[in-house]
Amino acid sequence: MDVKTITFILNGVTQAALLFVLGSGLTLAFGLMRVINLSHGAFYLLGGYIGYAVWTASGNWYFAVIAAALSIGIFGLIFERFMLSRVRGGDLPETLLTVALSMIIADVCLSIWGGHSKSLTAPPEINPSVSIFGVTYGGFRIILMGVAVLIAVALWLILYKTKLGSAVRAGVDDRETVSALGVNIDITYMLVFVLSAVLVGIAGVLGGTYLQLSPGSDTTILTYSLVVIILGGMGSLKGAVVSSLLLGQLLSFGSAYASQYLMFLLFIPMAIILAIRPQGLFGRES
Amino acid sequence: MSERQLTGKPKEQGAALRDGTLSTKNSNENKKIPINLILGGIIVLLLILLPFYAGQYTITTFKRIIYFGFLALSLRFLIGEGGMVSLTQTAFFGVTGYVVGLLGAERGMPFPWAQLIAIGAVLFLALIFGMVAVRTYKIVFLMITLAFGQICWAFARQNTSLLHGWSGIHNIEPFSILGIDFTVPANYYWICLALFLIGIYVMWRLVKSPFGLALNGVRESPRRMAALGYPVYWIRLVAFLIAAIYAGIGGILMTYANTMIAPDIIQMSITIWILLTVILGGVNYFWGPIVGVTVVVWLDVFISSMTDRYNSVIGIIFLLIVLFSPNGILGFFDLVRRGERFGFLKKILKQVG
Repeated sequence: MDVKTITFILNGVTQAALLFVLGSGLTLAFGLMRVINLSHGAFYLLGGYIGYAVWTASGNWYFAVIAAALSIGIFGLIFERFMLSRVRGGDLPETLLTVALSMIIADVCLSIWGGHSKSLTAPPEINPSVSIFGVTYGGFRIILMGVAVLIAVALWLILYKTKLGSAVRAGVDDRETVSALGVNIDITYMLVFVLSAVLVGIAGVLGGTYLQLSPGSDTTILTYSLVVIILGGMGSLKGAVVSSLLLGQLLSFGSAYASQYLMFLLFIPMAIILAIRPQGLFGRES
Repeated sequence: MSERQLTGKPKEQGAALRDGTLSTKNSNENKKIPINLILGGIIVLLLILLPFYAGQYTITTFKRIIYFGFLALSLRFLIGEGGMVSLTQTAFFGVTGYVVGLLGAERGMPFPWAQLIAIGAVLFLALIFGMVAVRTYKIVFLMITLAFGQICWAFARQNTSLLHGWSGIHNIEPFSILGIDFTVPANYYWICLALFLIGIYVMWRLVKSPFGLALNGVRESPRRMAALGYPVYWIRLVAFLIAAIYAGIGGILMTYANTMIAPDIIQMSITIWILLTVILGGVNYFWGPIVGVTVVVWLDVFISSMTDRYNSVIGIIFLLIVLFSPNGILGFFDLVRRGERFGFLKKILKQVG
């Protein structure tokens, strides 16, 4: 393999890391609540901008990550408690609420941070130059992969080793029975939604450092996240891992060799998978 | 506030509601129906005569209402009649625009051919998307169609060799047919209006046809319809294609009205905007999308003249509608008429009527 191919593959894995952080929260929230949070992309953008504001004010990148995670988490909590829970039970009104919210968030972001793209710079200690297979590669990208792995492991531990996790997994299969068994499904919903918001807030800062933040990134990011969870199967963590790795490579090679048709390339695996397995790679039939 | 109130018609409530209106109509049938017809006739007449008493700006706004009206009709047909919340409709809207721009304006293809090919192209795309999408239901359908719509948008934005990326295709001028010059704004307005009235009539017949009823059945219970021997997959696919044609016609009218097409018009915010517009009008009512589009386009004019934060204001309005009146404006009027909300208004209405 030549240097170019290795760089593309590495880029793909980096993209996959970001896609996984984006998709994992969304897929969990969907699997449990049957709510597709269409303001996921707007949450990403807002998280990234808040991180950017904190970073420019304090100069500390770690503060930015914490601030974005916390603020988007709290924002998600408020939205879930005061709006989503009011229309609980119907998936369409819930989805429409998130749509209206994304419209407002995107507009508020535009009014505060303007139309020019913004980006954060990672501190030097987590951005060393690393040499892999003879290719010099930005260290932050390696860190990004590490973060994604950490998040994957943490989510796996939460899902399979805690009480909340077993409630979530059971809820994905059968909501009614779980609540009949005495699990407070309402609180479970809230926690999962907040978890998903925290993850996307972190993704906002990571994405704002690795890529750029600008008006419009919200919808692109939302599309990527949707494709990740449709491909992987909604509600499946394993599916999110596999499909983000797949899409990462596709995006990386696609943008190098067929950048004009990049988004069309995304369509192809999705259409094939949906035609053969409508529930996605690892999704369960409902 | 279940989902049935929004997608599927709330059967019990909806039936009662229609029965209710029917029974009042039956009791004084001779008086009521003519009043509706006369009112409708007056509105149509006022719309036809619009260029004689209204300014250029009003005519432009009504053209906007008409081309977005086609899009809204298309979306409401899918949601209200078929229970399919499709977010690809705006992409179909753009496809015809691009084809008309590419073949008609850039290659100079004469009148009916570029437009017919545009409709053909939209059917082809809808067939491909539809074959994948109509296998799924509800929220999964919504997500898949959203992804399709976004892919079309991104393709139009990224492709510079054919579709000119961000800037899109410009100078798509209307032309003359049979000696009528459609570059004259009033003429163009009339052709739009005529097509819109025909479109509404055809849609009305379609909704009341056996096909429309079968589609309602599929919305309520695909399994039961399949058990009764209906080809559920094909019914949904054909409905998807019909809706795509409506969106496509709207796209052609929009392209000539704006003399350009660019990726902006099919971006997600427009998709969301039209979806919420339809919900605002009342997705379970035939006239819902038309009421919704008329109200929102005029709101657009007024809010834009007051603030730059149009999207925030409209977003908050939509948020309130979804939270408090999921059946939209027409649903709200129905509640008032039946005295379930604002009982005092009903008393006033009684005294007036």
